Amino acid sequence: MTGLPLTLAVKELRHDWRGSLCFIAALVGVLAPMLVVLALKNGFIGTLIDRLVEDPSNRELLAVGSGAYDLEFFETIGERGDVAFIVPATRSINTVANSVRNRPKRNLERAVPLIPTAQGDPLLGDLIINKGEAALSETLAEELELAIGDTAEMIIGREIDGVSQNAIAELTVTGIVPERLYSRYAMFISLPDLLAIERFRDDRTLTPETWRDGAEEQDSYASFRLYAERLEDLRALEGALTDAGAQVRPRAENATVLLLFRKNLDILYAAVALIAAAGFWAAMAANLRGVVERQRVSFSFLDLLGLSDRARKSIPVFQSLILVGLGICVTFIIVLIILVTINAGFAGAPQQMVALLGVWDVIGTLILGFVTALTASAWAVLAIDKIGTEEVLRHA
Amino acid sequence: MSTAGVVHIRDIGIRLGDELVVMVDTLDMDAGEVVVLDAISGAGKSTALGLIAGALPAENMSDAAIHRLSGIDITPDLPRDRFSGPTKLGFVLQTNILIPYLTLSENIDLPMTISGDTADADWRAHLVRALGLAGITERMPTEVSVGQRQRATIARALLGQPDLLLLDEPVSALDPVNVGQVERLIEVLAQDANSAVILASHQAARPAFADARRVGHKTEERGGVLYSRFADTYAGEAAA
Repeated sequence: MTGLPLTLAVKELRHDWRGSLCFIAALVGVLAPMLVVLALKNGFIGTLIDRLVEDPSNRELLAVGSGAYDLEFFETIGERGDVAFIVPATRSINTVANSVRNRPKRNLERAVPLIPTAQGDPLLGDLIINKGEAALSETLAEELELAIGDTAEMIIGREIDGVSQNAIAELTVTGIVPERLYSRYAMFISLPDLLAIERFRDDRTLTPETWRDGAEEQDSYASFRLYAERLEDLRALEGALTDAGAQVRPRAENATVLLLFRKNLDILYAAVALIAAAGFWAAMAANLRGVVERQRVSFSFLDLLGLSDRARKSIPVFQSLILVGLGICVTFIIVLIILVTINAGFAGAPQQMVALLGVWDVIGTLILGFVTALTASAWAVLAIDKIGTEEVLRHA
Repeated sequence: MSTAGVVHIRDIGIRLGDELVVMVDTLDMDAGEVVVLDAISGAGKSTALGLIAGALPAENMSDAAIHRLSGIDITPDLPRDRFSGPTKLGFVLQTNILIPYLTLSENIDLPMTISGDTADADWRAHLVRALGLAGITERMPTEVSVGQRQRATIARALLGQPDLLLLDEPVSALDPVNVGQVERLIEVLAQDANSAVILASHQAARPAFADARRVGHKTEERGGVLYSRFADTYAGEAAA
């Protein structure tokens, strides 16, 4: 029998509507601030950290100084599951072009950093830079007024016995790296082109005419570019590289700190939410128990009239579910208004919502409310179990 | 002595703590018969009514114990709905209990709603009209007078035309002017429903129910335990 207990539960709540409203207000008072804080955590801090996590630069481990890393090193490190990308590099002195020029526009930029790239570069996505090609950072491309399909002239200089020599490579621009991924001037080139630069500067037998002819691989490299799969992998990977004889440091030291901050923030919020939920649970259980005490004679009389124990006990359960359900509905309405207001107030913030609740936050709240409603009514149910017909017979 | 009537009871009782036992030694009633539980206040009349109705857990006080209502032998294991329900038992309690969050109409219909029975519409209308409740049945209990509340509890008890109507000081909360009127109404309506009536009252000498058979009461103490005993065979002793 569900209909009659549900009807009785609803009618009593409606009759004692002031008490019901107070109860709902108490729930809203606890739940709404928690959800607003959660929305701010999700929106403001979450977006901040998500950006950090999504930015591949924060997953880069920089090789410190020059070493001698053989092919086995690259093979071993490259096979690790926590390594997203690794490409050999030359000594840092050879990773700078004397200048890069847009000949038709007569634009020239001096001392342009060169970055070796290969397939799977997190900064380039699916773009592959072959020998004779280059990708420019967005800022450099704008400065030189170069676009995809244009030709960038890379000028590499050296000095032999006091005589300056320049070698020129014409590279086809095949990609532009967005500013959000790489904000400074840089040109991404293939490893063979980078090796050619190093050879040209080191080997006086090579001439500006022949400098790009030669081996496209070496047995050993002075440095590398390396990205971890995830931010969380940085520490372990750093240790593994150190063990392998490579000194590295994270490009963004504070990225791991922020990651830790996010974890701690999650724990802190969970603790506060747990305390709030426990407090509300206790208040709700006491309130429902109080209702049973006030209606003790009615419950006894319902027993006398033959309403089954199960039906009588289900009344506070229904009331608990109804009150919590209404409380959650009112909370969602209020929180929605607050979130819309907050987000409208911070409309200038780029590509992000300051306060945000996800579907799982809503589902989680509903599940938590449902569980709270059911468990909090247990005390009232136990109390009804002890109310028999004799109470109404002796009631005078 | 009838054994096939509405009530047939021998030697049942209930212990209330260590020092008091309320017993119904003998009681036999036929349909439409009226008896008065005649005892002083505090003698355990309400408890005796609960015992008779099977609402309180009865204990057999002898090997000859019998507890039979409407031909059904009541045992501790027998589900309440087998011998209770609005067509078998009706209660009017002295505190005119109504469920405070239901209207008078909903309160009147509540026992039938619980049992799943359907009330005779003509009988319901007759009850409401006869008890002066027409026009106020949609009001809440707090919106009517004490007398109207009490009349609503009478309508509720009689709606199923029960085999047995149990009245526990039904007019104790009423002013003297209304007492006679309400008692006469109960008497007439119970006759219309052909219900056997047990009236528990400590004011049994009123005109209504004046001709009714008395169930007597006596107390005795044995081993530090007070036995409060009701029996229709004690009527002469009580009157003495």
